[in-house]
Amino acid sequence: MSETILELKDARLSLKGNAGPVDILKGISLSVPRGETLGLTGPSGSGKSSLLMLMGGLERATGGTVNVLGRDLGALNEDALARFRRDHMGVVFQSFHLIPTMTALENVATPLELAGDRDAFARAGEELQAVGLGDRLDHYPSQLSGGEQQRVALARAAAPRPDILLADEPTGNLDGATGETIMDLLFGLRDRHGATLILVTHAKDLAARCDRILHLRDGVIDAGGAGQ
Amino acid sequence: MSLRIAFRIARRELRGGIRGFRVFLACLALGVAAIAAVGSVRESIQAGLSREGASLLGGDAAISLTYQRAGQQERAWMETISTDLSEIIDFRSMAVVGQDRALTQVKAVDAAYPLYGTALLEPAMPLAEALDGADGLPGAVMDPLLIARLRLAVGDRFNLGEQEFVLRAALVREPDNAAGGFGLGPRTLVRTQDLLASGLIQPGTLFSSEYRLRLPAGSDLGALQAQTKEALKSVAPRWRDSRDGARGVRIFVERLGAFLVLVGLAGLAVGGVGVSAAVRAYLDEKTETIATLKTLGAQGRTIFQIYLIQIGALTIVGLTIGLALGAALPVVFSPMIAAALPIPADFTIHLRPLAEAALYGALAALLFTLWPLAQAEEVRAATLFRDAATGNRRWPRFRYILMTGIVLAALVGAAAWLSGVAKLALWSAAGLFAAFLALVVAGRMVRAAARWMGRQKGLRGRPTMRMALGAVGGPGGEASAVVLSLGLGLSVLAAVGQIDNNLRGAIQRELPEVAPSFFVVDIQPDQIDAVRARLADDPGVRKVESAPMLRGVITRINGRPAKEVAANHWVVRGDRGLTYSATKPPRTTLSQGAWWPPDYTGPPLISFAAAEAGEIGLTLGDTLTMNVLGRDITGTIASLREVDFSSAGMGFVMSMNPSALAGAPHTFITTIYADQAAEAAILRDLSTAYPNITVISVRNAISRVAGLMGSIAAAITYGALATLLTGAVVLIGAAAAGERARTYEAAVLKTLGASRASVLANFALRAAILGAAAGLVAVGAGGAAGWAVTHFVMENEFAFEPVSAFAIVTGGVVVTMLAGLAFAWRPLSARPAQILRARE
Repeated sequence: MSETILELKDARLSLKGNAGPVDILKGISLSVPRGETLGLTGPSGSGKSSLLMLMGGLERATGGTVNVLGRDLGALNEDALARFRRDHMGVVFQSFHLIPTMTALENVATPLELAGDRDAFARAGEELQAVGLGDRLDHYPSQLSGGEQQRVALARAAAPRPDILLADEPTGNLDGATGETIMDLLFGLRDRHGATLILVTHAKDLAARCDRILHLRDGVIDAGGAGQ
Repeated sequence: MSLRIAFRIARRELRGGIRGFRVFLACLALGVAAIAAVGSVRESIQAGLSREGASLLGGDAAISLTYQRAGQQERAWMETISTDLSEIIDFRSMAVVGQDRALTQVKAVDAAYPLYGTALLEPAMPLAEALDGADGLPGAVMDPLLIARLRLAVGDRFNLGEQEFVLRAALVREPDNAAGGFGLGPRTLVRTQDLLASGLIQPGTLFSSEYRLRLPAGSDLGALQAQTKEALKSVAPRWRDSRDGARGVRIFVERLGAFLVLVGLAGLAVGGVGVSAAVRAYLDEKTETIATLKTLGAQGRTIFQIYLIQIGALTIVGLTIGLALGAALPVVFSPMIAAALPIPADFTIHLRPLAEAALYGALAALLFTLWPLAQAEEVRAATLFRDAATGNRRWPRFRYILMTGIVLAALVGAAAWLSGVAKLALWSAAGLFAAFLALVVAGRMVRAAARWMGRQKGLRGRPTMRMALGAVGGPGGEASAVVLSLGLGLSVLAAVGQIDNNLRGAIQRELPEVAPSFFVVDIQPDQIDAVRARLADDPGVRKVESAPMLRGVITRINGRPAKEVAANHWVVRGDRGLTYSATKPPRTTLSQGAWWPPDYTGPPLISFAAAEAGEIGLTLGDTLTMNVLGRDITGTIASLREVDFSSAGMGFVMSMNPSALAGAPHTFITTIYADQAAEAAILRDLSTAYPNITVISVRNAISRVAGLMGSIAAAITYGALATLLTGAVVLIGAAAAGERARTYEAAVLKTLGASRASVLANFALRAAILGAAAGLVAVGAGGAAGWAVTHFVMENEFAFEPVSAFAIVTGGVVVTMLAGLAFAWRPLSARPAQILRARE
């Protein structure tokens, strides 16, 4: 068995709601070996996106620990978390989250630049070529279709060669055919760079392409639905 | 039908509150408040001047004579028409204390003075008691400034000419001061009978006499004026009455007020940018509602009406706040304003300036909201979201473009008509419009330049700089709004800075280089040779020019009334200096005609200033009639000569052959060009040897003029700062409106690995870029306006002033950064997950 890249122990997440605290995650423990593709499924509100956010250090656990590459994310401050993501993670969102004031090329080059890569733009261009957008480098997000925007987001996440790729329902806002293309690209990128991929999805056929599936229900891992 | 539905829907929509309209209301209220406040202060002063007309004038009516006192016949006429009469003699002189001397404007009064009001003295005592004197010497009271300059104390003695006076009190308030206008020296008040003993009033001395009259109740001022002009025709009297007691001050206040209202209108234009941006943002938020309404069958016109009604309701709220502020501020601060004013003011709520401000506010609000409202009408449900996202706005229909043009014309027309300075208002509007266009173009250029620079290879690997440039240049950025709003405010400030500096430069730096050190006036013909001899021996004196001088009023040109021919040309306004010379003076160039022979004794001949002759339309052979000390002299123009009035040297519009003025009492005027080190000794020697003459230091006069200019510039700067304040509100509005976008951007950047410091640096940098761009454009626009005013209005050479320009650019950067960083806290502190999740 290869090394564990990500490990959660009794990880909990409570958010403040109008009617008091709401427990989103109620003690998640799991470990992910390097190179694995892990699918997180479950009904809406089950906590799968929140779990992904915890893994990416975008949300802080209110209990338990989240260890990534041997670092306890709970012990890192905001800036240390940002640097950690810069060096080790790529994130793809359902709503793409491209920066509207930047062109496709600039969006992809930004994480590389933040990491101090001297060839940021050349590499960004290559990544966009790889997702089939070599002719749309200078387009702003508003000038691209949803599928194209998500391809830019994929290229941006993959460009720094992250150890872990986190994808939160990357096809949720796309039609079936476009979603299929995106998933092919995502898995293709993952295969090319050998990253660990953790994917949140509703779609069973997409989850089926993962090495392992974890099913969440009401903030906990549903043992009955887990595993593959 | 459609309008009723529009009203109903508009009312429903407004139930949601006016939270998004804070900037709209602030911009409108500020602009209207500034105009209303300036107008209210102006109206208050006008009301005070009108109420105190008689007191300021010193009587119900005043008759002035130049260089002569009224004879028995004239006095008899004045006594016939009045119930009380008071004589004032006003002239410049030197107050002397030992070796110390200072220029003073002497006012000699009789026992009846003042007919209205009271002179306020320190220590308190009746004026008559003070002027009675003490220790066998006549008494005098002086302006506290002069007392301090001469280091005098009450009870000390000083000389005016050969007469010694005892200082009895400080003159704290002179009841009729505002009518006196701008004097070169602070006031000294003495009795006429004591003055006559001083030897200061001699034939040809430059003095004026004024006779204040208390008139029977119900006198017809207009009729009395006409009768007096006729009865005293031989002495060319000037008549003023309480209908317009302090005309000069009134006109000055009116002009300055009008100018400040124009500056206020610039503020309203800046506010208009904020108003427009707020309406755009509001309508952007409403795109979904508009789409839904359209889907449900609402026509474009209904959509326009719904939002016009809402904006109209908010405009009324903004105008009300602005008017309340503008009306209340002058009243609240009236004690402070009154203390700073040398003239009375009636601080109360004046309706006219409020109505004027409301009209400007309403027109400006309509002007700046029509366009976005008309664009909202054009929104198509199907393309709504994509249009909103990409900012591909359509042009409004032609009728709205036409309406915008009409509203703009109405606003400019109202400013031209109501300000009373139509030409200045039209030029200001043109300047503002040009600055507006320049800033819109500059905003686009800044974006394009930022986009271009952001893509340069040199910036690769410098993500903070590149991201900042990307944000400035990218779609949906704040560049245009910030450059426009801040740039317009800064442009007004830059223009004021450039004009002020050029004016001061012209007065303080350039003029003294060519100007003489002293003007010496009232030199008697028997003293002139001795004065010349004293100066000839002085190695510190570079040049001395002297000429005989009389004063005269041009009354007729070619037999017709002068004012009819020359309109209001300055040469025919009031009295002018007049000289004579048998031969053509050295360094004099004739452009036309010839000088008279040295021994010429024929009919009077005149040599007239060439440029002024051209302006009035005078040519060789034309005749002029001058009233010199009550005597009419008609002469023919024999030559035109070049006279440079800007050098501050001796310049006479008219020179005549000596025999034409033979027998007319006159004095000599001398200009002395001396080294600064020699000036003190010249002043001391001349005024000690010849107590009757008056030595005017050009340096002191210039600093007095510069001081006055400084006060005017300060008033205008306050106006410009109000404009800048509105600009800052617009800026804060833009920063607040962009907060959501920046929060989102910060969340994405943090997700990609950017630290808070680099996100903050990115925000600060883009603010600095925009601020610097706005500042640079403002310096360009302000410089152009400064050049136009300096060149065309002041007819002076323009020199770009870099210090205020640098301050403007720095100010732009600081203001934008402060506004931007004030709204950086939320983007920096927000957790990425919360922000990004909210967008899923």
